[in-house]
This record gives sequence, structure tokens and C-alpha cells, in this order.
Amino acid sequence: MHDDVKNQVKEMLNQDVVDLFLAYRMMDGHPLPFAFSRENIEEVEDLVTGPARYPLEKLALEILKIHPEATLGILARECDQRALNVLSTWNQLEAGRVKTIRLSCCPSNLKEHSDCSYLEPHVSGSCKTELGFEFGAKTEDLEALAPERRFSRWMYEFEKCIKCYGCRNICPVCFCRECSLEHPDLIGTGPLPPEVPLFHLVRAVHMAGRCIDCGLCEDACPAEIPLRLLYGKVNEIVKEVFGYETGTSPGQSPFQVLGTEMMPEPL
Amino acid sequence: MTNSIAEIEDSRCIFVIGSNTTECHPLIARRIYRGKEKGAKLIVADPRKIQLGRFADIAVNHRLGSDVALLNGIMHVIVKNGWQAKEFIEKRTEGYEELERTVSEYTPQRVSAITGVDPGKIERIAELYALNRPASLLYAMGITQHSTGVDNVKSCCNLALLCGNLAVQGGGVNPLRGQNNVQGACDMGGLPNVFPGYQSVNDPGSNEKFSKAWGRKLSDRVGYTITEMVPAMEEGRLKALYVIGENPKLSDPDWKHLDAAIRRLDLLVVQELFLSETAQIADVVFPAASVAEREGTFTNSERRCMRFRKAVEPMGNALPDWEIIMKLSNAMGYPMSYESAKAVFNEMSALTPSYAGMSYERLGLDGLTWPCPEPSHPGTPYLYKERFLRVNGKAKFHGIAYLDPAELPDEEYPYFLTTGRMFAHYHTGTMTRVSPHLDAEQVGGYVEIHPADARDLNITEGDIVVLSSRRGRMEAPARLTHTVEPGVFFLPIHFGENPANVLTNPAFDPIAKIPEFKVSAVKAEKLREP
Amino acid sequence: MNCRIVPSICSYCGTGCGVLFLVVDGRLMGTLPMKTHPVNEGKLCIKGWNLHEYVNSFIRLKSPLLKKDGRFRKCTWEEAIGFTADRLRSIVREHGPDSVGVLVSAKMSNEENYLAQKFARVVIGTNNVDHCARL
Repeated sequence: MHDDVKNQVKEMLNQDVVDLFLAYRMMDGHPLPFAFSRENIEEVEDLVTGPARYPLEKLALEILKIHPEATLGILARECDQRALNVLSTWNQLEAGRVKTIRLSCCPSNLKEHSDCSYLEPHVSGSCKTELGFEFGAKTEDLEALAPERRFSRWMYEFEKCIKCYGCRNICPVCFCRECSLEHPDLIGTGPLPPEVPLFHLVRAVHMAGRCIDCGLCEDACPAEIPLRLLYGKVNEIVKEVFGYETGTSPGQSPFQVLGTEMMPEPL
Repeated sequence: MTNSIAEIEDSRCIFVIGSNTTECHPLIARRIYRGKEKGAKLIVADPRKIQLGRFADIAVNHRLGSDVALLNGIMHVIVKNGWQAKEFIEKRTEGYEELERTVSEYTPQRVSAITGVDPGKIERIAELYALNRPASLLYAMGITQHSTGVDNVKSCCNLALLCGNLAVQGGGVNPLRGQNNVQGACDMGGLPNVFPGYQSVNDPGSNEKFSKAWGRKLSDRVGYTITEMVPAMEEGRLKALYVIGENPKLSDPDWKHLDAAIRRLDLLVVQELFLSETAQIADVVFPAASVAEREGTFTNSERRCMRFRKAVEPMGNALPDWEIIMKLSNAMGYPMSYESAKAVFNEMSALTPSYAGMSYERLGLDGLTWPCPEPSHPGTPYLYKERFLRVNGKAKFHGIAYLDPAELPDEEYPYFLTTGRMFAHYHTGTMTRVSPHLDAEQVGGYVEIHPADARDLNITEGDIVVLSSRRGRMEAPARLTHTVEPGVFFLPIHFGENPANVLTNPAFDPIAKIPEFKVSAVKAEKLREP
Repeated sequence: MNCRIVPSICSYCGTGCGVLFLVVDGRLMGTLPMKTHPVNEGKLCIKGWNLHEYVNSFIRLKSPLLKKDGRFRKCTWEEAIGFTADRLRSIVREHGPDSVGVLVSAKMSNEENYLAQKFARVVIGTNNVDHCARL
């Protein structure tokens, strides 16, 4: 599969289909995101498709901020593809600016697990199981708990937060220029943890119709708060109420019904 | 750290004392969370109610500066119950009798009177720490920045030795380093008494080795520590100071005193990223390149030497520190002609036994932990596996008696003051306060006051409080919080306009020369409207 | 158009987290955690995530400065180094090498700390070298 991807990348670069191609490359035994270019086409030989996972589409947006006329290629797993869909739905990405070579390897609830080797299942320790939520817990598991038990477990998880904003910073679909999490009228500044549970609930609400369940937030969380579980619940509600599956349903997001003035400005 | 960061997850008990880990070392706090969630017991002892305490099996707020008493009390209970690691003590240590004699006097009742910690809690800590092995002990400046800093550290070591928690995976006495390369600066001989690799300047063998390598006869007279430089400046013994990447005006105790001393210098040279408080009073300022603009290595808390790489060109005419030092050296007639940081590294590793096996190629992206004496050596995640670093290879217990901090509250200055960091800022704030996202989290200084004290002083949230000590006076807005105990104020150290070191006590530890930033006595009143 | 992702180490606390700098056309655009780094395993704190911001700060020093009549003026490297070397030489000549102190830094690299203490010990001839491990 690698050779096939490498050939496609070379072709896209050589034929000027894209200016840069974002994928991964091994460096001293570590897979790191890498921008392949026509000028250094021989580097494509070192391209790897994994096992690392970084928000390549977010890197693409950063590049497009400086070079809005550029066309970029991305090695797109299914989660990357869903992120790209959401970004264009929300006017953040002009059609045709990003070309993809697709890989199928999605462990998300949105699709059955296939071959993403990166998300090895974590083993939950005794205390995590007792006080918080086990890794990989499903919303059904939560709903089986009495509301007060559920609440105390969420409070346990949120109290670990060290306010790194990693969940937002790594998120491929967090693009707002002004972030509610930093709005002093919504979230107080000062000591840790940030206001419990407000900080995380504010972010959860903003993930409605946006979260594509890639798992990067949970992966970046130093406190191992089960963020996918939280945002998964939010998107379950979106699906139930609006029949909208974020990242895969075509057309507008139900959160755009309030009118175009609610839309973020295009980049 | 005697043990690696990742090993914290393997501990059966994690004892955090004098470290607000989630705010100051968040990615080490992550390992504590993970260890705890795997089932380790967590003990947190800190004068403030820190975030980590919420997850502890037992959390205590001992009185400021009472660490030796608390630790002796814990050891008293361990010995009384026979929980000590008898085989380890016999085979790998000496001086146990001295320790036993000392701690026998520290009954939980007596310790409780000194520390304010309930005797039952002292017994519970002893039980958790002694009976869940391996146990890892973590500390930071809350242990060291005291006039009894060395005693505090020795007491931590006593406790770990008593339970056989050194020289074992998942155990250790683990000081968390406050700055990215404190470990490296010490390893590289950035100290007045040692060459790189802790080789003494007054050891004839070492002195000769370095004199030969560097081609000049070197002084064997131990130099001044930073704390000793201040009186030396005042008395005119120190005429010139070359300050590289430091901001002593904001980081030293007793600002007024230091400021007057620095102004007596004939020459102050400052090499910095920013025009810091210290750079402002310099005669010459050299603009330095930042971490992203040069290459080199840093050695972290767990002794892991890691490479950082150049990402962008230096801003304006800034230059990497090593290039500036080279220029100055060349101008002064001692030629230096390194082509790269790597060339410097190679010279250093050839002279520094613990780094001798390292090279840029071997470091890669993972780095290597010292000691790494040979090119085939895999590095050393935890120390003292076979022997301790004493002539007979045995670790030594020290009987340490408790001493009060140099200054305690009295009638005139009735409140305790302690200082520290907050999560979004760093040290003197030169780097974080210019970072928009960090500045937004905390724009200015503040003083944490318990609501009960605020009531007594007729202070409400946001009121400007005038704090004064025997050294000076400063103002800061009040933040009312239950994080501090009644009778204790907390000031963050990052804010030059609310400088904590106007107030702090320059009393220092007689051996380590570390100032007592963590304890001083102050009075407070609300600022009257003009 | 040029885009590079450069691995580095966070320069704030002593944990030593692995970071990646995103560089577009020679400009530092952002910081990411390195996923496979042995210390931080793909996580960072708020300071690490914003590491690029202080590097890009417009109030960084961009030129050597010399103080004359109580005011700084910009100067060349030759002037700044020449002035400092002359002053240091005459202070050493007049008051001896132990009248000079060097404060090295926990922010400098190992290489730079090595050179700075070598400078103090060899070029100046004093062991008056310390740093703020205590502070």
C-alpha cells in the first residue's frame, strides 16, 4: 500500500496537481508530519502512512492562511476526510484547495474499526474504573448508571483538567478566531482546575454539529478526560433531533439555520 | 530525579510534598494521575490546598516551613511499627541508629503541634508510604526554597532510604526541576565549585585535567554563589557581572538590596531575549536567539539529554548564546572556533564522564539519560542500582532536627507569606507575559488571601492590598480563596509590577545558599483611597 | 512556498516535553505536541502549546544595545563586543579575575552553559560562576 501511495503522491506533485503534499515521514524512528514538495521529490521515498496521527487538515489551514492560492494534498484517513467535509461546510475551506489520497482506517463510532494501528486500546486502572469512566466507554454504558453516579464521575474527570486547551488546539474543526473558552464572561480565569463543569460543557456545546469523532482531543488530553464520550453524546443528540451526521451528511449543518450572519467569516 | 518520569506510573505510592505539580509540572502531574488511576496510593502534603490534593488518598496542609518535623513524624511512626526496610538498611546504608535516635523524639503529638497536622493523619501517611512499595517521592521548590532547604532534602532522602525506596524501579527521591535546563546547567559546571560533570575545581586531578584540556592554568579557588555575589557587589569586591538569560532583579530575594548592589557595579552585561528588569539597568545588552532559532541540547529533570533543532532564523541581529560567547572570547584573546553546537557538545562530552557515551547521532529524538559513560551504554533510567555515590557505596542517614524558618509571624508582621508559580506563567514572566494566550489567562499580579483574613482586614475581592515586611512594601489586588489557610498569603512571582521579592526574606540555607522564598512574615492593609 | 515541521524541546519547565514547530516560509506558525515523544507522549500544557508566541514577540531584542548617558542606543555587534571586551580586560587587570562574576542560565543549552563557564574559568580566570537553580 505504501508504494501505491508514494506513486500517487509523486504523480500529484510532478503534474502540479498540488503544491505540497502533507503526510508522514520517519525521522530517527519517529513518524512525524511532513510536507512533501516537487523540489525534493526524492523525499517521497521516505513517506509513511502511520502509525502517527496529527491534524494534517489543521496544518493545511495554517498554510492556506499564508498562501490562499495554494493547492494542498493530504493523506486522508476517514477522520481527516470528515474533518475536511466539516471545514468546507463551515466555509473554512474553499472547494478544490485540498486534494486527498484516502486511507481507510477508522476506529470511530461513525464507522466500524478497521486498521488504524495508532489507537491501541488503553487499559483502565482500578481507580479510573471506580471513580471515572473507563477508556472506550460508550454512551449506553453511562446511561445505565444512576444520574448522580454519572454526575460524580464526570466531576471527577473534569477536576483533573489542567487547562492546557489541548482539546481545542489539536481539534481539526476548531477554527473560531474568538473562542468562548477564553471569554472572561463565560469562564473565569485564575486557579486550576478551570470552572468545573462549565469549561468542558461550553466546549461540548460548541462541538455539536462539528465533532467528527477523530479522537485527537482525547489523545492530547494530559488528564485523560473521556472527551470523545462527551462530544459523542452531544452528536448523538444532533443526530436524533436533526437527523444530521456530522462530517458525513451532505449539505448544511443544522446549526446554520439561524442565518448566514451566524456563519464565521470565510478565511 | 533519581528515577525516570515514566516510572512514576509504576509506583505503588506517590508522595508529593512541596510541589504544585498540576500547575508547575503539568506533564509530570499526568504521570501522577495515571499512577493513581492504576491504583497507586497518593499522598499530598502542601501548605496550600492544591489541585492534586483533590485526588489524594490523604492530603495535608502542613504549616509553612515545617517539612522536617512532618517527615520526622512520619519516620517516627514507621520505626515504631517496624515498617522500615530492614534488609535494605543493613546492606545498603549506614547511620541508621542516628536517624532512629532523632526521629524517636518526633511523636505524632509533638509533630502535630509544630505542623498543625492531625496526629492520625501523620500515622496514616506513614502507613501508606511504608506499606505500598515501591513508593516515589516527588518534591519541588516547596522543599528547597527554605533556610533549612538542605535539611528538608535530607529528610526526604531519609524517608526513602528507610523504606528501601531508592535504587528501585518506580521509587526514588525526585526533585522536579523548575527550568528546562537547570539539570544541564549544573551538569555543565555552571556552579562556583565544580567543572563539568561535578569535578571539583579544588581537586588537583580535576583542575589539572581541565587546565590541560583548555590550555590555561585554572583557578582552584571556589567562586561566589549568586547569593554571595550580592554582598560582594555591595562591598566592591565584584566589579563586573555578565548575566546570561537570567533576570536576577526579579528572581532574587530582597529586590531593594539587590538593586542597590547591582548599581554599584562598574560593568553589567546582560544577554537576553527581552529587555528584562535586569537588562534595563545594564551597560551593554546582547540580543540572544530563542529556542526555535538555534540548536543544542537540554537535559531535563530525569537527566535525559535531548536535542532541540533550529526551526527559523534568529530575529533581527540576535545570535545564539554560544556564538556570542565565542565572539567575546575571541575579542579577549582566547580563540574559540566551534563550527556548530555539535562541535561544542563533542568537546564537552569528552571531558564529562556522565555524558561520554553521548553524541548527536545517538541522541536522536528520544535523547539519553545520564550516566551514559560509553557509546554502547543505553543510559540510566534510575540511579544507584548497584551502589550509592559514596566511597563505601552505602547511603548515609542523617539525623535532622527541626528548625523554625528564619522568620515567623509576630505581633508586628502577623501573617505568613509564601510565593510560587501559577499555571499560565513562568518564572519572572519575561517569556509568558508577552505570549498573548498566556497573558490572557492572567494579566497581572494578585495576592491570595483566605476569606476569613479578608474579613478581618475589611478586604473584598479585587481590593488593592498593601503588603509590607521588614524588607519593603508592595501592592497587589486581593484574590479571596480557600486555597490558602487562614493566616497565610500567597504571591505569584511572575509580575514585576507586584514584585514578591520586595518582601521576601534573604535568609538562606547555609550550605545550598538557597534563599527562603517560601516563608516570610508580612502585615497587610487595604489601600486607602487618596 | 516552503513548509517544515521541526522537532524541538519545550523551553519552559524542567519536564522537557517534545514539541513540533510548524514553519511556513521561514515563519514560526505554531507548536504541536510530539505524539511519540517518551516524555510527554503527545500532550502539552498551556505554556508548551503557546511556545511559539514568545519567540515571535515583537518586543524581542533585535540589536545589541550600548548605554550612553543613561540611554540605550542600538549598535553593531563589533561595537558591543569590543566595548565589553575592553571593559572586562581593564577590570581584570585592575582588580583581578575574581572581581568578575558570570551568571549562566538554566535557559541556555548544555553547549552554551559549557562555553559560558569555560569563558569565566579560562578567559576571565575566575570560578565566580553560578545560575538560578536556587531561585
